[in-house]
Amino acid sequence: MKNSKLKKILLMLGIMAMAVVFAGCGKKTSASTVKHITYWHVNAQTQGGAAVDDLVKKFNDTHKNIKVTAKYNPDMYKGLMQNLQSAQASGKVPDITQVGWAYDNYFASNFKYMTPTDAAKKFDGNNKFIDGNFTKRTLSFAKDSKGKLVGLPYSLSTPVLFINKDILSKYNIKEDSLSTWEGIKEASKKIHDQSGKYGLYIQEPGDTWAQQGIMLSHGADIQKGGKAAFASDNGVGAYKYYQEMVTSKLALHTPWAQGMDSFVKGDVAMAFTTIAQASHIKKSASFNASAIAAPHFEGHKTVVPVGGSMLAITAQDSEQQKAAWEFEKWMYKADAAVTWSKGTGYLPPTKVALESSAFKDYVKENPMLDPAVKTLDNAVPWTSFPKKGLQAEQAMIDARDKILSGSDVKSTLGAAQDKINAEQK
Amino acid sequence: MQNKNKKFLPFLYLLPTAILLIVFLIVPILYTFYLSFFDWNLIAPTKEFVGMRNYLEVFTDPVNQKVILNTLIYIVFLVVLNFLFPYFISLIVKFFISKMQGAYKVLFFIPSLFSLVVGAMVFTWILNPVSGPLAYVLKNVGISMPNWSNSGILAITVICFITNWKVFGYNFILLLTGLGSIPKNIIDAAKVDGIPKWRLIWNVILPMNQGIAIYVLILTIVQGLQYVFTPINVITTGGPYYGSSNMIYQTYLNAFVLYKTGTSSALAIVTFVIFLILLFIEIRFVERKAKNYA
Repeated sequence: MKNSKLKKILLMLGIMAMAVVFAGCGKKTSASTVKHITYWHVNAQTQGGAAVDDLVKKFNDTHKNIKVTAKYNPDMYKGLMQNLQSAQASGKVPDITQVGWAYDNYFASNFKYMTPTDAAKKFDGNNKFIDGNFTKRTLSFAKDSKGKLVGLPYSLSTPVLFINKDILSKYNIKEDSLSTWEGIKEASKKIHDQSGKYGLYIQEPGDTWAQQGIMLSHGADIQKGGKAAFASDNGVGAYKYYQEMVTSKLALHTPWAQGMDSFVKGDVAMAFTTIAQASHIKKSASFNASAIAAPHFEGHKTVVPVGGSMLAITAQDSEQQKAAWEFEKWMYKADAAVTWSKGTGYLPPTKVALESSAFKDYVKENPMLDPAVKTLDNAVPWTSFPKKGLQAEQAMIDARDKILSGSDVKSTLGAAQDKINAEQK
Repeated sequence: MQNKNKKFLPFLYLLPTAILLIVFLIVPILYTFYLSFFDWNLIAPTKEFVGMRNYLEVFTDPVNQKVILNTLIYIVFLVVLNFLFPYFISLIVKFFISKMQGAYKVLFFIPSLFSLVVGAMVFTWILNPVSGPLAYVLKNVGISMPNWSNSGILAITVICFITNWKVFGYNFILLLTGLGSIPKNIIDAAKVDGIPKWRLIWNVILPMNQGIAIYVLILTIVQGLQYVFTPINVITTGGPYYGSSNMIYQTYLNAFVLYKTGTSSALAIVTFVIFLILLFIEIRFVERKAKNYA
């Protein structure tokens, strides 16, 4: 009796387990009429996630044959890349993926994707959409080290110099003197000598994006012919300037969150950071805040690496790819791109959106964006080394940390450069 | 039939746990061990066999050496802050303060309910060396706060204090409960004999509370090193120049930021072995001591 009861229970458990297993393997059956595609993005609710949801809803309402599901991936592009790896391993990849510039080469050489050029050729029969919407410069941001277009640029950002106008006017510093790094040093000295406050903060997140901008604006190359080249005299000069600013307490050296906190509280007069911080500064600063274009060194011009992301088609099935391409094209329409830009603080990537009256009105309301838009003409792709690019970025972060802790600039940069080049053979 | 069932049933009862352990613990550990001999970026179809190179790198690379040293510093700090300190306070509360024991329990336990990410962010704000509330207070007294995030040892100290804020209450309650379960007649007998309080604690209470104490000590080391991961990730990302990194953060950094699966697996296996040795020494040493008292 007992035995049969036990058998029954075991049988029930077994059936339940099988049901769970098979439910997991279920296939979509409604595919014949409506195409379901998934879009992976990194925008949390506080960083434009609401705008993404809004756009997806609008798209779904106007397209009866395609249903898009947006999935938010925490921890920015790094988190998304980690999830994409698991997805690839399980064979269930998203159809459209937002990829950060720093992952350009890693993504291109490890994942299966359809290039926008192929998509345009296959589904439109021409290249009009790409040529009509993007400048050559903008497209260059999304190319891998072999010159192949991996995705379409989706969000753009440039570093700008945010300024505390109240402090500057208190110590009689003119804004136009801040167009060069030399001018910024002088201003910082004036502020520090008279108030004890820091003059400048340069963002220090888990990448060297801003620091690359300083080197580039001193005439240095980050890479040349696929090899690291930043330990040149110009590169060393730029970092010596940065190190001196920190050791003489003119510039604050601290993690990003604390540095920005100090700027919005008025303890630091200027902050060199991404334009994506504009809305945070506008909301949190109690002083008169403004932004000016990224500075350069005397005798050189401003050159900055572009920040942001691209959209890549990761769908494998031809029908899915077609639906993904349809959705992507819709997302690049001027009003959609401007909505997204407003939600995230990034700049729209297309010519049409940048020149649209909606975006121009938005810039008028938020004049801090103006220098960032103008700097786009001086932007270059974010350096992504062909081999072991993520480790190369880490080598540059390590060099930055060492230099700011007082290490010799020339030998530290030289060692980092050698380490990166040893992998590029 | 009945006998057969008796033999079979215990295994059946163990099966769910065994499956969970095998799937989520044994297999991943074995796979990590396997991966530690390869150079692989987590996604490429081919893995390059490199033999012992990853292990050599763990011990010869100056960054890893620094990280191993940091891990030891973390252990010392964590033992002092999260084990000795709550133990000391629980002894005081139990034997020197007779009122409001319940209130202390609640007060000390509250931070345990908060997420460490929240704690890390709040402390980043409070301890901002230039613009934090503490910096303003110190400035008014004429002291300038050191920029702790630029010094490895200070960053480690701050990170340990943040985990202390989180786990103090939990450890305190565990230890206090342990102290409360010591038979009252033994304590009363000692009091009748006129033994001074410190001798009573040293010779009677501490040995009798050893079971709970060992548990909390092991928890402090093994769980503590994992707890510090969150503030490291949120505040310093291991900086300045790996000054506040530990072996667990370094394993994560290599695996999921740099995609160096081989190096990461080798680090994970070394950490695993260190933990095993630590636990082994701890248990053997303390158990032997416990037997002496028996």
